[in-house]
Amino acid sequence: MTTPRPPDPRIRFGLGLLLGLAVALGGGWTVVRGARNQLEDDWTTRRATVAANALTSLVVQAGDDAAVRKLVTAWQETHPPGTRVRVIRGTTLEASTDPADTGARAAPRRLAREEKPLFDQAQRLRAGADSNREGGAPKPELEVEPEGGARQVAVPLEADGKVIGMVQVLVPAEPPAAGRSPLQAMLLFLAALVLYVVAAWLLPPKTVLLAAVSTVLFCLATAFFIGGELRDLGLAERDGQRALARTVSVEVERVRALTGATTVDGGAWDTDLSRKPHGLVTGAGVVDREAGEAEAQRVRRGALRSLLAVAALGLVVLVLVGFGGASRAGRALVTNRQAYAYTAPAMIATGLLVFFPFLYGFALSFTSSNIYNTNLPLSELWVGLRNYGAILGDFGFMRRAADGHWVFNYLNFYWTFLFTVIWTITNVTWGVSFGLLLALILNIKGLAFRPIYRVILILPWAMPNYITSLIWKGMFHRQFGVVNQVLQIFGFEPLSWFDHPFTSYLTALATNGWLSFPFMMVVSLGALQSIPADLYEAARVDGANRWQQFRAITLPSLRPALVPAIILSVVWTFNMFNVIYLVTAGEPGGSTEILITQAYKYAFQRYQYGYAAAYSTIIFLILLVYGTFQNRVTRATEAL
Amino acid sequence: MARSRREEGTPHWILHGFLLATVLYAVYPVLWVLSIAFSGKQSLAIADLPADPTKLDRARTVLPWPAHFAFSNFSSVMTDQPFARWMLNSAIVSIGATIVGLALSLTAAYAFSRFKFPGRRFGMMSFLVSQMFPGTLTLIPLYIIIVQWLGLGSTLTGLIIIYATTSIPFSVWMLKGYFDTIPKELEEAAVMEGAGPGKIFWRIMLPLAKPAVAITALFSFMTGWNEFIQAATFMDKEDMYTAPVGLRFFVGGFQQQWGYFAAGSIIVSIPVVLLFLYLQKYLVSGLTAGSVKG
Repeated sequence: MTTPRPPDPRIRFGLGLLLGLAVALGGGWTVVRGARNQLEDDWTTRRATVAANALTSLVVQAGDDAAVRKLVTAWQETHPPGTRVRVIRGTTLEASTDPADTGARAAPRRLAREEKPLFDQAQRLRAGADSNREGGAPKPELEVEPEGGARQVAVPLEADGKVIGMVQVLVPAEPPAAGRSPLQAMLLFLAALVLYVVAAWLLPPKTVLLAAVSTVLFCLATAFFIGGELRDLGLAERDGQRALARTVSVEVERVRALTGATTVDGGAWDTDLSRKPHGLVTGAGVVDREAGEAEAQRVRRGALRSLLAVAALGLVVLVLVGFGGASRAGRALVTNRQAYAYTAPAMIATGLLVFFPFLYGFALSFTSSNIYNTNLPLSELWVGLRNYGAILGDFGFMRRAADGHWVFNYLNFYWTFLFTVIWTITNVTWGVSFGLLLALILNIKGLAFRPIYRVILILPWAMPNYITSLIWKGMFHRQFGVVNQVLQIFGFEPLSWFDHPFTSYLTALATNGWLSFPFMMVVSLGALQSIPADLYEAARVDGANRWQQFRAITLPSLRPALVPAIILSVVWTFNMFNVIYLVTAGEPGGSTEILITQAYKYAFQRYQYGYAAAYSTIIFLILLVYGTFQNRVTRATEAL
Repeated sequence: MARSRREEGTPHWILHGFLLATVLYAVYPVLWVLSIAFSGKQSLAIADLPADPTKLDRARTVLPWPAHFAFSNFSSVMTDQPFARWMLNSAIVSIGATIVGLALSLTAAYAFSRFKFPGRRFGMMSFLVSQMFPGTLTLIPLYIIIVQWLGLGSTLTGLIIIYATTSIPFSVWMLKGYFDTIPKELEEAAVMEGAGPGKIFWRIMLPLAKPAVAITALFSFMTGWNEFIQAATFMDKEDMYTAPVGLRFFVGGFQQQWGYFAAGSIIVSIPVVLLFLYLQKYLVSGLTAGSVKG
């Protein structure tokens, strides 16, 4: 078979440069546009928040509801048309400038039935504010709903440190900023390609040379592009800050005019959703230099990270196409198109729902993701190896209980790991020894009812293990369980099985021992039956006694079947989720938790997704190490 | 015979005694569930204890024989409780997942067995490694994909997709192992007669692999039928529960309906236990063979 010659390196690197730059510049331009839109959105929200907070500060001072209505009307007149204000106190609509709230519906009045969402919103804000006052994870006490370019901001209304209602302001849309043209990126793209064509024409067609030229051109063009975009982004950020400061000073002026107050702290109106001031604008309505620079830096750094990632992707494309990797891959794809077509459906399905979730989970393990921040992108929650450090670097095996006594800290990873190892070893030892013993007995020729015993003894394996687990949990019940009844028949006190780590462990062991011995029995029996009888005959002729026969013939013949069975059952027991989760549920106090159930609880009961993902990754690594180790052991036994 | 009796050493009645004790251990939990299922009550005690129980009364509660036989747990779990619906859900999900999973695995296993192509070894190894992924690691991302992105939370489709894809690696390994044992000469003869690869796959390989396909399908079905964690995570609505989630619902948390649980367990177990007893010899050889090849 002849392989077609790869195309001229000049063309390959030219094509690589073209595609790589298209990825880097085109992708980068899209990223920056997204970032700018986001920025624009954020500034609009913050300006609207300033207006809403300013009005709220007025309403708080206003006193009786007639004064509030007068104030709101006056405030409305100083703002652009389309602004709308509603003040809600308890179940009353105290003031409103909504055109619909006139005539019979004019404020003050009780909220109508269909206005329940307004009441609910006020309740949410109150709950958020109360929760924040008590400390804990910050919850939103401001709600901002974008309506196109307009923003509807709801702010809780407080009196004497208590939330008594809400002010809702609709700030109309401002004229949109002019879009940017991608001209600069296109010029850089063309310039790089033209320079490459000139260089390729002048230079000898050597791969190394062409690779260097195209890489340098790629880097130059991308660097210019990124530099320009970051500068523009910085300018946009500065404009946003200035516009915000202008809004603050305008609002300060209006408040002064309406109340006659002389000192108004407008900077405190620029807040985030939990009503903490950003500290960007000073009370006088000027941008604070340091804070402004810090915010601009943060924006630029975020954009730079994404742009560099896109650029790296472009460089990979350039290298792949340039060195012929892409064309080789393409040819392999064409030559083996049948094989790939046959495997593609399975590969895509597992790729999407087995491998992608795995990688996503792996990425989660480097973040502080939890139930409160699932809407944030992972890059903002990045904590590096902190979760792993917290899991593996925690050596607090003991802790002080509430009554001052030292107790075991069962949440500690090493404790759970130790318990998992003990759990695995005891279960597998029990399974192998009991299963092997039964197999040896059932292999005795001439023993009556052998097939019947065999079928009955497989039964525990055949039962679904979640049912087995629930049955055994019932049998260990403190009051009605069969096990305690038997204890009482023999004159013992009934035991609270799940109140002590050791007895709790025994319940799980009894359950798992019950469902796991038949597997070993069946495997051993199969291996025993395949041992030729004349081997024993020969041994007997040589005068070997039964123990010697067992050592010299039975055990070695069992090994090829038993070793893989033991390896499998170690993995099964190590991850025996159902038995632990359904029988002991980790009681008491997490002492009988194994690694996999502990990881599940971190994810679905404590909602620490990032931490749980790191925990699970560690489990995976343990299994992987075990897997490579088992591979070696199996190879070694095969060689015997 | 006499010589062998002497050499075995242990008298048979001791062995029978030991085996009977083991049989009691193996069968007792099953009998216990049966007696609760037929007791007609929701209590997890087989018989009620009087106020001042004697040892005989206690022994009565241990004996797995209901005080009076009643069929009511079976009839009311299927009619008053939504258990029939849960069984139906389980059946649809397991059968659906088996069909989808097999369809995807069959062609892939054939290609892995018959074609040499770049990435073949990598593909098989990654399927093997994927069997070590801890379920807790993939559960959250799967939840995000299925529930948040695709909006398939609490739907049978969502669960079918998950079960089908997670069964693929195991099925591919099983089927590839079987395809490997079919002699290549058969295909070569077909090629000589002018059959294309598609025809070879459909007309020759599939009919020959029928036993392996049947076994793989049954295992895939049983995995779906017995699966608990993922179903419990993805099925929020009560009428979308599968049978395992429903059975746990009877006795988990504040519910203590042991009679329903017992009756339901028996109904759910009968098909899988029968299937299992029929299949176990294939299971052992399949699992250990795959593991030895590594």
